[in-house]
Amino acid sequence: MPQLSEITNKIRESARKALESGKAEVVIGYRQGTIPLTTAPFFARTAEECDQLVWSNFARINLANYLSGRTGKVALVAKGCDARSAVGQVTENQILKDNLYIIGVPCSGMIDNNLVTAKEPRPISEAVETTDESITVKGGGFSTEIQKADVLRRNCATCVNRTPKLADELVGPEINGGAADDFADIKALLGKSLEERMAYFKDLIKDCLRCYACRNACPLCYCPICFVDETRPQWLGKSTDSMDTMTFHLLRGLHCAGRCTSCGACETACPVNIKVREFNRVMELTVQSNWRYEPGLSWDQKPPLTMFQTDDAADFIK
Amino acid sequence: MTEYIVKQNALADFFKSLASGRRLLTPRGTGDKCKLGETPPDQVTLEYTNTHLSPKSLLFPQTERLMAFHNERDKPNGYVYQSLGDNGEPTVVFGIRPCDARGISISNKVFQNDRFTDPYWKGKIDQTVFVGLACDAPSPQCFCAAMGGSPFGESGLDALAFRQGGDLGLKTLTDKGAELIKAAGAQEANLADEIKKLEATAIEAQGVKADYKPIDDLDLMDLFKDPHWVATAENCLNCGVCTFFCPTCHCFDIQDEASERGGVRMRNWDTCMSWLFTVHGTGHNPRPTKTERVRQRFMHKLKYIPLKQDGVRGCTGCGRCVAMCPVNIDIRSVALKMTQTAPSPA
Repeated sequence: MPQLSEITNKIRESARKALESGKAEVVIGYRQGTIPLTTAPFFARTAEECDQLVWSNFARINLANYLSGRTGKVALVAKGCDARSAVGQVTENQILKDNLYIIGVPCSGMIDNNLVTAKEPRPISEAVETTDESITVKGGGFSTEIQKADVLRRNCATCVNRTPKLADELVGPEINGGAADDFADIKALLGKSLEERMAYFKDLIKDCLRCYACRNACPLCYCPICFVDETRPQWLGKSTDSMDTMTFHLLRGLHCAGRCTSCGACETACPVNIKVREFNRVMELTVQSNWRYEPGLSWDQKPPLTMFQTDDAADFIK
Repeated sequence: MTEYIVKQNALADFFKSLASGRRLLTPRGTGDKCKLGETPPDQVTLEYTNTHLSPKSLLFPQTERLMAFHNERDKPNGYVYQSLGDNGEPTVVFGIRPCDARGISISNKVFQNDRFTDPYWKGKIDQTVFVGLACDAPSPQCFCAAMGGSPFGESGLDALAFRQGGDLGLKTLTDKGAELIKAAGAQEANLADEIKKLEATAIEAQGVKADYKPIDDLDLMDLFKDPHWVATAENCLNCGVCTFFCPTCHCFDIQDEASERGGVRMRNWDTCMSWLFTVHGTGHNPRPTKTERVRQRFMHKLKYIPLKQDGVRGCTGCGRCVAMCPVNIDIRSVALKMTQTAPSPA
């Protein structure tokens, strides 16, 4: 049972070494959050600042999101999914490989706060975590132990890339993934009529506020100007009109096709708990079955939808 | 200001009376589904922490259609604008929390002042009576008292209700509130001391005791120029969560959605976290990076609004942005950093 403090110490040590050796000018990792069940992205530039870095069961946000467009040398504390996103940033030319140093943390999955509050609905004022297997939440007159396996984010429950194999170093023993996402629900959905599918997705996004937290938390969404923000011409209305909202989600899903690493940052960031990944899972299944491609597992492979080959099997492209 | 009491066994009739001849809105649902909704009088509950989103959309909807216009030159009224504004309907809001009522009173000075009156806001607020419910069990994220409010705060309310054992205590604060509560058959009672006691206990129960007063005294430009903003903003994603959840964020974007035949003018919630918020027609952007945008949000809440509204802060301590920020940018920590700003030599 790995102690979180052990991993934390190793991360701090690696971070300090990366700064001292000049491999990095900044280390992007996590620090303790100011409220329970939370961490915050943290940028350490000195040995002292490295002491604020932590490992936690709440390290949900994908830090590869901070890589695109960076010019200096950077070290990234990365879970399996984050490291895949970081590799994607390199293969998509968002950052030079030479400027990136990945401190890989084999990951047993991160906790979904909504599942925690479903198990313990009383207001939580403190969350104690010492291992990566369980947490204890406390509040006025109660202390409840919760097993992590019962409150994992759904993308973490089906993760098969827990160990960031392309990392420059690993700060813990390798962790193997369990059963992969079998996409059974998505396959069933795709077997339904167009109307039923539309009804499903409309219902899925009915609470969407268009705050774009999903987009802004996503390491794939690095366009200098997102199509929803274009004004000349303006492609999309700004109101709560359901078709405008749907257009945003559908286009974002398509833009991420073959690039999404199921890190779940979008769902973590969503303030109204929309299962944003449903759009991405449809595309993930499509790309996997058409091209047998999984993003972020190789430095050389380009995402299928960014490539052109003269011997492509499809007629339309020739 | 008079206090009243409604005994537990009279509560059903009390709510029935509140709902008579107008709609009764109260917090409904739990967790992220808790929001103000029309509630049958027998289904009013006092068991909630607060609504997930702030209640500002009641007076300031995320999308508000203002008017329609037509391009029908053959018809006599072809070019006449047609008002679409929703002017509201007689409404009682029961159970709004004092932090959120305070938020409405702050926005009220933006939408109604000696220079402007926003007819859409005015139409709705004039027909609404706000009866707040005091917080006897603040949640861990609450810090209204540190921001100058109180779990028993009165700002923006027509009457304040509070739990008194199983009974409901009430304090009327405006004529509108007095009329409503009296008509609902509440019994007069002397509860002033009781309120003071409950309020002190509720304030004591709040975890945050920080003193943000130094921000009031610091020079605006010193706060503005302090180097901490770069680090404060570094992990910001520039999403709009904090602004959309904030009970006092009131900025909007006016849009025309039109075809050749005509269209609709509407206003939508906008967010100063977006680069698009300030980009000029020339392409110049006075807030080009997230540092300027994050600074704007906190300076607006903690310095500009107090300057314009006699010291009242633009943050009510409801804690929504703290709880919802995907990267844990905590306004309490930012405010503390602001208090540590070094004054420039005179």
